[in-house]
Amino acid sequence: MQGDRCLAHIPDGFLSAPVIAGAAVLSAAALAVAVRRSQSRLGEQEAPILGAATAFVFAAQMLNFPLGAGTSAHLLGGVLVATLVGPSVAILVLFSVLLVQALLFQDGGIAALGANTLNVAVIAVVGGYGSYRWLLALVGMGTRRMIASAAAGAYVSVVLVGIAVAIELALSGTLPLVPSLVAIGGIHLLVGLGEAALTAAILAMLMRAQPELLRRESPPPPVRRKWVYAVTAVSMLLAVTAVYAASARPDALEAASRRLGLGESVASYFQSPFADYTAQIGGAWIAAAGGVMVVFAVGFGLTKMIVRTRRNP
Amino acid sequence: MSFHHLDQYAHIESPITHTPPVVRLLGTVVVAVGAAALPLGAWGHMAVLALLVGLIALLARVPARVMLLRVSGPLAFVVLASTAVLFLVPGQPVFHAGPVVVTDAGLLRFGSAIGRAVVALGAAVILVSTTGFPDLVSAFRDLRLPRVVTTSLGLAYRLLYTLVDEIERIERAARSRNVGAGARRRRQLAVGIAATALTRSFARGERTYRAMLARGYHGEMPSLRTRRVDVNSLIGLGLLTVTVLATTISAYMIR
Repeated sequence: MQGDRCLAHIPDGFLSAPVIAGAAVLSAAALAVAVRRSQSRLGEQEAPILGAATAFVFAAQMLNFPLGAGTSAHLLGGVLVATLVGPSVAILVLFSVLLVQALLFQDGGIAALGANTLNVAVIAVVGGYGSYRWLLALVGMGTRRMIASAAAGAYVSVVLVGIAVAIELALSGTLPLVPSLVAIGGIHLLVGLGEAALTAAILAMLMRAQPELLRRESPPPPVRRKWVYAVTAVSMLLAVTAVYAASARPDALEAASRRLGLGESVASYFQSPFADYTAQIGGAWIAAAGGVMVVFAVGFGLTKMIVRTRRNP
Repeated sequence: MSFHHLDQYAHIESPITHTPPVVRLLGTVVVAVGAAALPLGAWGHMAVLALLVGLIALLARVPARVMLLRVSGPLAFVVLASTAVLFLVPGQPVFHAGPVVVTDAGLLRFGSAIGRAVVALGAAVILVSTTGFPDLVSAFRDLRLPRVVTTSLGLAYRLLYTLVDEIERIERAARSRNVGAGARRRRQLAVGIAATALTRSFARGERTYRAMLARGYHGEMPSLRTRRVDVNSLIGLGLLTVTVLATTISAYMIR
């Protein structure tokens, strides 16, 4: 898993010109929003906090954590930094780290900097921190709940990076979409476990040693919490019932893939039990219900496991 | 730890070090994007860009041995990352490597990725070898990168030396006190070191900030080395851009 550095930091030579340009535009827009928000949040303390956090993430990414079986991983740090200084500052911190890594150490391409920023700084932080806040609203405030939610958010952030890298490689014509998703997404499913464990362990240690460093998250008002529950319930209901109302025509990604000729070159390397949202027994309804249950079980189980581990160290 | 060995050709008199850092940075981006935009299998055009990079290295007086050494490290990661392309892309089988089949389409993509990466890495190595980090930060400022990013980069660069040195010392001490410890114990130590690094970096950041305020810092990092973009540098950058553009566009026209 030492190789996750290569996968999360796409080198030059893997992406096509349109993907490079599109990712650069999207990440520039996200950085502009992050700069505006961080200035209003931190004021004149902005530069020292950003500098310190940048130095920390850079140094932490040089530390390898043994995972066993001869493998090691390093921290990406998006959700960890976001829980300390907020998501907009975390985006700027990770962008600064990527910039230094690409220019000084050639870790990640210069032409691919926009794509790497989009994946590691924007998608990972926004997706991971969003999941963290959403879980906090669901399970409520508290030290253990915060740690568990941050760990789950960190896991989501790494998986999202894997999916984004796979899609960008497929859009560039470097790899077919399905093998790319299976290979890169699959590796990030494992790497995410390391990121979740590291984020939880470092946060737990900080809460004991220096709790004032952590960002004070205000508990969501009861009305908002009810909304979160309602939206979650409606999402689950939609996932289960919408399969019957779904169109059989290809979605935008499938249509784009076919137009790019990716559809023809896709080879099936993994037969999912719910391929095309249909189960062999029970059809679409069982597939949707099974999918929702699996996603819920993974999230719930992960959160419970971390909370239990923290209670009985 | 020190990054000074990286820019050891920054103080050598050469046509490249005479150009302002912002022009060097833009030139690197032009070469990297030009190489990335080349179509698959444009071997001749990749060779032209590689020759161009070699010529610039010659002008910058960066020895070939240094170029090869510095390119080979990151290139090993690129080769590792692109190995999967060899057998994940469907195509005509070329040969069997154990249980996997290497295809012609996979070979094409693998070779193209390596070729483009060599050109981009070469350009990046020349930039880093001839440009100190403070000059790079001033180049970012000239490119109108947000002030907060350039200021924090400058600060992080100063903090990084002490922080990484400190982490290395703590790590060495922890290793020597825990010889023969299992993976679980080593994991705990690594987490402890990371948490220590985090608290110390924030504490140092705060102290550095106060020291800067005491020395008259008012939100702008002053630079002692300001070099204006002159006509000659602009002509050089223009020539480079035209050459790279012509190479990339001709690769598409020939196909």
